[in-house]
Amino acid sequence: MLEQGKISGRQAYLLIINVILATAILFVPAIVTSAAKENGWLAAILATAVGVVISILIANLGLRFPDRNLFDYLGDIVGTIPGKVIAFLYIWWFLHMNALVIREYGSFLVVAFLPETPISVFNFSILILAGWTVKQGLEVICRTNEIFLPLILVGLIVLFLLAVPEMDFRWLLPIMEHGVKPIVHGAVIPISWYGEIATMLMIIPFLKQPQNFRKIQNLAVITIGIFFTMVVLGTVAIFGPELTPRFIFPTLNAARIVNIANLLERLEPIVMAIWITGAFIKITFFYYVAALGTAQFLNLSSYRPVVYPLGIILGAMSILIHPSILELEHFLGKVWPVYAISTFEVGLPLLLLLIAIIRGKRGKT
Amino acid sequence: MKKPVKLKFGSKGTKVKNANSYAQKEEPPGEEKCSLGLSSSLEENLGHLREIFAKSTDIIFRDFTIGRWGRLRAAVVYVDGLINITDVNENLLKAVMLEMPMAGNDQDLTKLDVLQKIKDSAFPLSQVKEATLIEQVVDAILSGDTAFLLDGYSTALLVGARGWETRSLDEPATESVVRGPREGFVETLRINTSLIRRKIKSSDLKIEMMKLGRATQTDIGIAYMENLATQELVSEVKKRLQQIDTDSILESGYLEEFIEDNPYSLFSQVNRTERPDKVAAGLLEGRIAILVDGTPFALIVPALFIEFLQASEDYYERYMISSFVRLLRYAAFMVSLLLPSLYIAITTFHQEMLPTDLLLSIAAQREGVPFPAFVEALLMEISFEALREAGIRLPRPIGQAVSIVGALVIGEASVSAGIVSPAMVIIVAVTGISSFIVPNYAMAISMRLLRFALMILAASLGLFGIMAGLIAIVIHLATLRSFGMPYLSPIVPTHPAAWKDTVIRTPWWTMLTRPPLIKKGNLHRQRPYTRRWPGQEQGGEANGRKNKN
Repeated sequence: MLEQGKISGRQAYLLIINVILATAILFVPAIVTSAAKENGWLAAILATAVGVVISILIANLGLRFPDRNLFDYLGDIVGTIPGKVIAFLYIWWFLHMNALVIREYGSFLVVAFLPETPISVFNFSILILAGWTVKQGLEVICRTNEIFLPLILVGLIVLFLLAVPEMDFRWLLPIMEHGVKPIVHGAVIPISWYGEIATMLMIIPFLKQPQNFRKIQNLAVITIGIFFTMVVLGTVAIFGPELTPRFIFPTLNAARIVNIANLLERLEPIVMAIWITGAFIKITFFYYVAALGTAQFLNLSSYRPVVYPLGIILGAMSILIHPSILELEHFLGKVWPVYAISTFEVGLPLLLLLIAIIRGKRGKT
Repeated sequence: MKKPVKLKFGSKGTKVKNANSYAQKEEPPGEEKCSLGLSSSLEENLGHLREIFAKSTDIIFRDFTIGRWGRLRAAVVYVDGLINITDVNENLLKAVMLEMPMAGNDQDLTKLDVLQKIKDSAFPLSQVKEATLIEQVVDAILSGDTAFLLDGYSTALLVGARGWETRSLDEPATESVVRGPREGFVETLRINTSLIRRKIKSSDLKIEMMKLGRATQTDIGIAYMENLATQELVSEVKKRLQQIDTDSILESGYLEEFIEDNPYSLFSQVNRTERPDKVAAGLLEGRIAILVDGTPFALIVPALFIEFLQASEDYYERYMISSFVRLLRYAAFMVSLLLPSLYIAITTFHQEMLPTDLLLSIAAQREGVPFPAFVEALLMEISFEALREAGIRLPRPIGQAVSIVGALVIGEASVSAGIVSPAMVIIVAVTGISSFIVPNYAMAISMRLLRFALMILAASLGLFGIMAGLIAIVIHLATLRSFGMPYLSPIVPTHPAAWKDTVIRTPWWTMLTRPPLIKKGNLHRQRPYTRRWPGQEQGGEANGRKNKN
């Protein structure tokens, strides 16, 4: 194995939470409410339910081969050449997804905090940091996450509690006025975020006790669901179902209006800190799986030599991939969910699981 | 001086392994040690020693005769100033020169194994060793032993009658306490080991010795509790120490750099202390202490990040007060790291974050200040660092003058001259005070350096730069290990069982186990229910064995 480190169940749990929550937390209220309006929180719950199903699928596939990762057993399931092709596609997906996250990250910082700074400064500075971290290995990524994520979650809860005076829960009514359809519609994009859990297929063998992975993952998805619902409820109760979708980052705007006794006001630095650290770890993790996957694809003995070359690709991709944040939003809203769910997040894992079951492939348990 | 000896008696082939295995390695050319045996001729032996110690005026040779008729010739060799002269005169010279002849006649002297007899019954001294190699004799003399050579015997007696001037036990200058023992280590290793032995009266306390430094031959003591320290840790420490091959070890700082896991890190991965109680506490947690002769600073490994923010007094003062002080320390730690950079970032990039009144007040103060906030902060921080350094190095009487000049010139005059804003002076002062709260000097210095890095990041990228810097620091800390232990444990990797003694300290009677990080043997430091005594449910002092954590 290219990775010597082992991570504990707690670290895996926190890692899953961060990988999905970090970027979603900013965008999710605007996206679910644009379709589901005042029933956005129901869409968040529905998405979480589907997320649990995806999580079960991923765990079933991963735990058939608990001592090896996706790229190791791909060849066993579908044969060497098709396995390489799928592996290559997965590397593409890791890179593409990461480029999008980096772009969202840079855009957020430019739009919300430092409008005169070029986006490439943020993208490349975070990639240098991330590349360095990736070289330190999975254990360090998980330890860093173990420090930051509890702070992030506490920060979110504090923010929510401070914003309570601004909330008017009548905004949440009526429930299901237009039936189930808008809710399903609103849930699609969050489902694609839950689907990012498929990246865990790359690290299941590095758990100290892989057999607990199923439980850990389900628990993580449910935790994420609680935070999703909380953020959607909060922002809709503050801004109402019409205004919320019009913001790019409703969570940030919610933080802006908090004002306690003229002393605690303008709390957006909290949101920014949350976003920078959370997104950083998410970027680092995707970067890591891409580097690990590339090294396995090329049969290298270490993934470290490919880290910085991949970083340059990622940096260039993150800038060139979309000319503006509006197009990025459009891509994320209309194209990405269909593309990601149907292939890498659900489609391919399901296919691989079925083939593995039919051909009776199974690793040591 | 050694060269003639070498030419005369030996070459590489005669080299004998030193007692220390570091000498197994090839020594650099020109520093060959000649290790030949003593001959049975006193003249010859003294000749060698005289040759080796030529031009060393502090080496005293005293030859004399033993017995009523002066048939047996003998000599003592020692370093003036390193021995207890009364001991040598009264118990060594007097014993063999005056008392021996009375004990028997000269016939006995020629028949018996006189040396053995002298060793067995003539020296009223507790430390007598035998040596057969010139090198052993030379080493012993240089360490302060007195060599006793007898004509006709190729064995020398090394008599331990050491005695040299030492500093008396003092309160540790760098780690003072309000409550707690006031004794600190001194420069003599033996006194330091005795201070530890006085704290831990257990046969499990082992103190192994080794010598490091080709020229300095510094004594190193490796102390650990045999029942608590893991064998791997002990052998790892020994292995790393034995790898050291240098000519001098003058302070434990040398060792620290040689044995650290990551020598490129800003953070010290080895704890240092002048306090015997702190060493004892470390030993009782299964750590290893490295004592170095010639310095009052002992090293403790492995060291964790949180320990640098703990003071030994935390364990002596009431737990609620200690916990509060610790929280204060963590806050001060963050302030000293971040305050100047936050000020720069907010006043330069994120003015909207300040409440309007405060913003207006700062803006009014900054009116007329010719520099941007970054330059202003940098100037002030550097002058503050310079003042602090001057305060340490200057002779004590001048120190006060410096602080007056610093306070008046830099504090008052620069504000009234309009070079810096009053807000900046406050920021620098608060940062300075906060950095003094960090109890460990090594950590405080790391903070000071990182503060400058964060200021540069803040000046170029605002809050984002600070966050990126903090992330980088945390990642670096997460990669560090100290003798195999993750540096940030027990925070990450998480060990909730050890959290009773991290950010807060829980009462002694709740800390039933030793920190489970260094696992070995009996983890329990006291029996449960220490506070349950007959006829009472609560109250009174906790009894039972108490160990400092």
